Amino acid sequence: MSETLEQSFVKQLKENQNIVHKICRLYTADSDAHNDLFQEITIQLWKAFPKFRGESKFSTWAYRVALNTAITLYRKSTRSVNTVTYEAQQHFFVQDEYNHEEEERLKLMYQAVQQLNDIEKALVYMYLEDKDYTEIAETLGISEVNARVKMNRIKGKLIKILNP
Amino acid sequence: MEELDLLKKAWQKDTQSFQQVTENEIYKMLHKNSSSSVKWILIISVLELALWTFISVFFNADEYIKQMHAEEMMVYLRILTYVNYAVILWFLYRFYTNYVKISATTSTKQLMKDILRTRKTVQNYVWYNLGMMFVSMIIGFIMAFLYNPQLSVIKDKIAHDEGNGTVIKIVCMLSLVTIVFLVIFWLFYKLLYGFLLRRLNNNYKELKKIDL
Repeated sequence: MSETLEQSFVKQLKENQNIVHKICRLYTADSDAHNDLFQEITIQLWKAFPKFRGESKFSTWAYRVALNTAITLYRKSTRSVNTVTYEAQQHFFVQDEYNHEEEERLKLMYQAVQQLNDIEKALVYMYLEDKDYTEIAETLGISEVNARVKMNRIKGKLIKILNP
Repeated sequence: MEELDLLKKAWQKDTQSFQQVTENEIYKMLHKNSSSSVKWILIISVLELALWTFISVFFNADEYIKQMHAEEMMVYLRILTYVNYAVILWFLYRFYTNYVKISATTSTKQLMKDILRTRKTVQNYVWYNLGMMFVSMIIGFIMAFLYNPQLSVIKDKIAHDEGNGTVIKIVCMLSLVTIVFLVIFWLFYKLLYGFLLRRLNNNYKELKKIDL
């Protein structure tokens, strides 16, 4: 029996779910909001799936739709938390080798990223995912130069947050 | 920026720390619709009950019955009303349990069963309401015929009639009125609940394709 559209979607999403998880991590502060956003993105991906023709990789397509969902569609008050609790940060990093100093720095860095706005978070996400500026620019619908400028501003902003 | 690069390193290394979602859970997310359809069925049936109660409070049938000196009928009508409310409350309870069950379903197979059960409940509910309406109308006609003084002219006519012509005419007319009313209400229910059931049905078909 040939695979239905739905089956192929569910399979691919399952394999690529970390993409969505990572976006949820940047945009939400606790696990409830995380799961909420995950579900919202899943629904949006499914709605958009018929238009996905396999010209790009599923992962590339999925992260773009997911980012758009996080930026534009998901506007719940539970998400915009400016102060992130220590407990909420706990699930962010589970690391094998224990380097307490590094762990502490990462935690602070994370709290700083959480304070950025939605578009800035999207840029940070793509930066962390090692996307090049051509792709970043295309995804956000801005020019490459503009993307670079924005990224530099974000770095400046993060430094300011970390060193008040 | 050193900090951001540190984060990047950790970010790319860190892929296993997320609680993984299973295929089944993804299916469930896609069919979350089912629970909201069932929720609407529940809400609409509550509103409908409220509407009927509201109407019966404002258009008090008791006054009408007193005017017609048909007090002896009142007891039966009361009983009928209470029975009706009891049955409708039972249906509400069923809608509610269906809703709770569908919302909490974890297995797709169970979800399919729940959808079928919900459909059945709604269908029974619609048929019950139509049946009740039919019974009420018949009772209404009989009461009007027996007690309403304005209808004595017709009664006289029937008494003086040689054949059964007048009786047949009246019966035909009343049947026509009854059928028209029932069809209108049937359409009303079809529209109201049919829309929600269709969404449920679509979900059911999708689930069937997965064939678990």
